[in-house]
Amino acid sequence: MSIEISNITKSFDSFKALSNIDLKINTGELVALLGPSGSGKTTLLRIIAGLETSDQGSIIFDGEDNTGKSTQDRKVGFVFQHYALFKHMTVFENIAFGLKVRPSKLRPGKEAIEKKVHELLALVKMEELAKRYPAQLSGGQRQRIALARALAVEPKVLLLDEPFGALDAKVRKDLRRWLRKLHDEYPITSVFVTHDQEEALDVADRIVILNQGKIEQIGTPEEVYDNPANPFVYNFLGNVNLFHGRVHNGKIELGSLKLDAPEHTETADRNVVSYIRPHDMEISLEAGENGFIAANIIFIRAVGPIVNLEMKRIDTGEYIEAEISKEIYKKLMLREKQTVYVKPKDFRVFIPEDYII
Amino acid sequence: MNLAVKPLKFRQQSVIPGFGLTMGVTLFYITLLVMIPVSMVFINSSSLGLRSFWEIATSERVLASLKISFGTSFLAALVNAVFGLLLAWVLERYTFPGKKIIDGLIDLPFALPTAVAGISLTTLYSPNGWIGRLFEPLGIKISYTPLGITIALVFISFPFVVRTVQPVLHGIDTEVEEAAACLGASRFQAFRKIIIPELLPALITGFALSFARALGEYGSVVFISGNMPMRTEITPLLIRTKLEQYDYAGGTAVAAIMLIISFLMLLVINLFQLWASNRHKT
Repeated sequence: MSIEISNITKSFDSFKALSNIDLKINTGELVALLGPSGSGKTTLLRIIAGLETSDQGSIIFDGEDNTGKSTQDRKVGFVFQHYALFKHMTVFENIAFGLKVRPSKLRPGKEAIEKKVHELLALVKMEELAKRYPAQLSGGQRQRIALARALAVEPKVLLLDEPFGALDAKVRKDLRRWLRKLHDEYPITSVFVTHDQEEALDVADRIVILNQGKIEQIGTPEEVYDNPANPFVYNFLGNVNLFHGRVHNGKIELGSLKLDAPEHTETADRNVVSYIRPHDMEISLEAGENGFIAANIIFIRAVGPIVNLEMKRIDTGEYIEAEISKEIYKKLMLREKQTVYVKPKDFRVFIPEDYII
Repeated sequence: MNLAVKPLKFRQQSVIPGFGLTMGVTLFYITLLVMIPVSMVFINSSSLGLRSFWEIATSERVLASLKISFGTSFLAALVNAVFGLLLAWVLERYTFPGKKIIDGLIDLPFALPTAVAGISLTTLYSPNGWIGRLFEPLGIKISYTPLGITIALVFISFPFVVRTVQPVLHGIDTEVEEAAACLGASRFQAFRKIIIPELLPALITGFALSFARALGEYGSVVFISGNMPMRTEITPLLIRTKLEQYDYAGGTAVAAIMLIISFLMLLVINLFQLWASNRHKT
């Protein structure tokens, strides 16, 4: 089922949670709503489910206006961050709940319900725990039961509110993979909310980045990571180094460093901020003719295949982060307090207008 | 799950100190406050011998009074369970002007001397009273009937259910109800299948407290019941009547019967409550 969100606005008293959100989610897509806390992502998800009413705008499922429909009539599956399992019911009863509350004409028979529940238990790999109560399960197991319960009513849309937020890192990674697999097997439109950019980049087909009730960028994980639309997205998706400087006729001066900026050939003498990801930093032991920036290494973390370097620029005293491969690290034989020369391999320049960082 | 049989011993290894002291105080306190006075009732009535004890216990007047006492108390507790739940719901779930005032009014029946409550209720519900007047043309008499007794008992034991249910209702996560709604459950289904089971232990506790309080009530009922033997005479009053006639043994015998029945009923209610609160924890 496709979901069309058009011009949704919502305020809580004087706080504007969402303003004029337009978004189209295609059938079968797995979309992540990503943003910091307070960005309105959960509110948007709740409005799609009908748990919250918008002040204006409409929610359209497959061309049919659902704005005025109650949650019960929308037929969405919703998975809550804290599972919201019925604690006085067994795992079996929890999953069967959605089928048992149907009006008697639409309710499947007892055997059919049993069959369906066992199918779902098999899907979440928890068949042997059917008789347990939620209090006897671990967090990861509870979340899988919550998922199975939501899927029992065969929703056309699955909405997940920070589904893995309360789980530890290892379980989270497993469940993430599992959700991706599940989504690929079941043709279902899914929307999930997260503040974890890694999770969004890892699982989603498309990412919607929200900030202060507005959409900052929509795109595939590669698009938003490689081509951030603005400094906010750049900052939000992973670590970044900020270099302040000036741009003049296609040349950027960042302290002693001079770089070409072909997209700014028209710009004359403006202040700019340049964004460079730590893994786009090149480290050299000698100052080349292209004006590398001299910096002192302050801290080295060499766990795993990627080595993190924290450096301090000698000219401005600003901090720089870099990620290099272990091979290069070993070849250069870097040590703390050593002076090195850094140069960005790839960078983006934004002219600060509305953006104050 | 620990299936091993727990050894029956008083002292268990624990990091929390003070077991000896607190347990000692508890036993002393319970003995002083409950066990000694209650056993006096049995000691006193034992002077009668089993035969005359049984005769008193099964005498028509005693049986009639027990029926009225337990019947009206049970009914009052039931009424309180239903309306107490409703009030707790309104106070927890909605915001409205004057909420704090209503919340404060709930405890008032506890503070009011029961005799005052009895007199004012009798006046209100008597055939020419403000409320009784409205029921008079319908042929319904309230004061001086079991109905009147029930109303008095509802009044004096009313805060229990509200106060036991309120905090539990407060603790129920609204997400659970939202989850039910997403699964297609109507408001009523969510209430019946999700809220009520969670509230049940507290509701039963409130019911039991209310019932026990109503059973022992004397002050307000004597005014509204009219105290007609066989018809509107409650057991506590019958005991008092016997005592006033210097029939101490007879009075304590009735008290003993009442105590035994009360204890058994409260035991059953508490077992039910235990079951309701533990069934999803094993």
